[in-house]
Amino acid sequence: MNLESFGQTDTGKVRSNNEDQFVIGTLRKSLELHYTSLDDQSPLGNLNSSEAMFFVVADGVGGRPDGELASGAAVQSMLQYIAQTAGCFNNLDVTRENEFLERLESGVQRAHQQIQREFGGPGGAPSTTLTMATLVGQRAYLIHVGDSRAYYLHSGRLRQLTRDQTMGNYMVDAGAWTEEQAARAKVGGNLTSTVGGAEMAPEVGLVDLEPGDTLLLCSDGLTKHVDDARIATFLGRPDSAESICKALVSAALEAGGTDNVTVVVARMQ
Amino acid sequence: MMQKKVCMVGVFGAGKTCLVQQYVHSMFSAKYHSTVGVKIDRKTVTIAGTDVTLLLWDLAGRDAHQDISVSYLRGAHAILYVVDGTRRETFTQLFELKAIADAAVGPLPSCVALNKTDLSDQWVLGPADDRQLLDLGWHAVRSSAKTGEGVEAAFQWIAEHAK
Repeated sequence: MNLESFGQTDTGKVRSNNEDQFVIGTLRKSLELHYTSLDDQSPLGNLNSSEAMFFVVADGVGGRPDGELASGAAVQSMLQYIAQTAGCFNNLDVTRENEFLERLESGVQRAHQQIQREFGGPGGAPSTTLTMATLVGQRAYLIHVGDSRAYYLHSGRLRQLTRDQTMGNYMVDAGAWTEEQAARAKVGGNLTSTVGGAEMAPEVGLVDLEPGDTLLLCSDGLTKHVDDARIATFLGRPDSAESICKALVSAALEAGGTDNVTVVVARMQ
Repeated sequence: MMQKKVCMVGVFGAGKTCLVQQYVHSMFSAKYHSTVGVKIDRKTVTIAGTDVTLLLWDLAGRDAHQDISVSYLRGAHAILYVVDGTRRETFTQLFELKAIADAAVGPLPSCVALNKTDLSDQWVLGPADDRQLLDLGWHAVRSSAKTGEGVEAAFQWIAEHAK
């Protein structure tokens, strides 16, 4: 499956600095044979086409210093971990798939501990959200902490792949609040889980993508200004990933741009 | 540590996610959130003195837009089918879903959770349905993600029988 992707971030119209980070990358670990006398090359088969694409969005928690340090450190830590675990992508069978999912969680745990160790102080460490999709073949593995989001558009239908880890959603999930109560509560939007923060509980999931599907990762600087219906309209346009990214960021800025806004779009072809 | 992949399979809204939430986090919400793709949770249990980690793959439910994706079943050690006892169609479709799963990954240890017993005034399943499952040799547990009834029993059976 071919894939076209693009990412963009903007400080917005209110904040003085940008605490968001994003990465789009490809990890390859392959062996290409040019000439050989070997009759049986099948044992080398799983080294021929090992490739994983990954997409990351991190949003340093605002309202406290060093948010951008946390988001940057979290993304860098994840990238280092991914590079070290490259062997996992080879011939990702059932056993290794479980191992791979564990390693993703370990990567986030390591980033969490690193931020606490390097930046922690009397007031605690700065923290960040982290939403990451790793695409191996057609399967997208997701790991998510905080309230950045992953969506995908399939057959014209937009689905949110992640659930915001906020106090409002926690109370709804616990059966203590209705969604209306959560929306009204002052603490409803407070994060219950962040990388580097007091609590960190990564959520893990996966989805199989098909040609024509579009994957979107974004910070809340987009979703607080552009609702799901408009996001679906943008993603449904027959435009390039770059054009869609720019249109989404522009829409967020035109609607106020009260926060940093980051958008990563990947289109399966 | 030994790991067992357990897939949650059923029609949308049957209560698969709520059962996992109750089992893993001891939480319940009546608010429905449809699952997209697969959500993965884990819980470690002790079976005959050995710690076993259950990898709970909560699959998106079957609905008008999508059938279950059999590729997610690959490598499963057991399946927990979930039926909404207040919606007969979820019981009827159980047999189709099991046939699809069997064709994809072969027969696996399976348990059927007849869920939502807390909604007793809306319950539509009767003794004939219980007999049908019994005649087919299926293990069934009446459950409620809300009250917790049968939840531990269903997952415990799965943990003990997962291949």
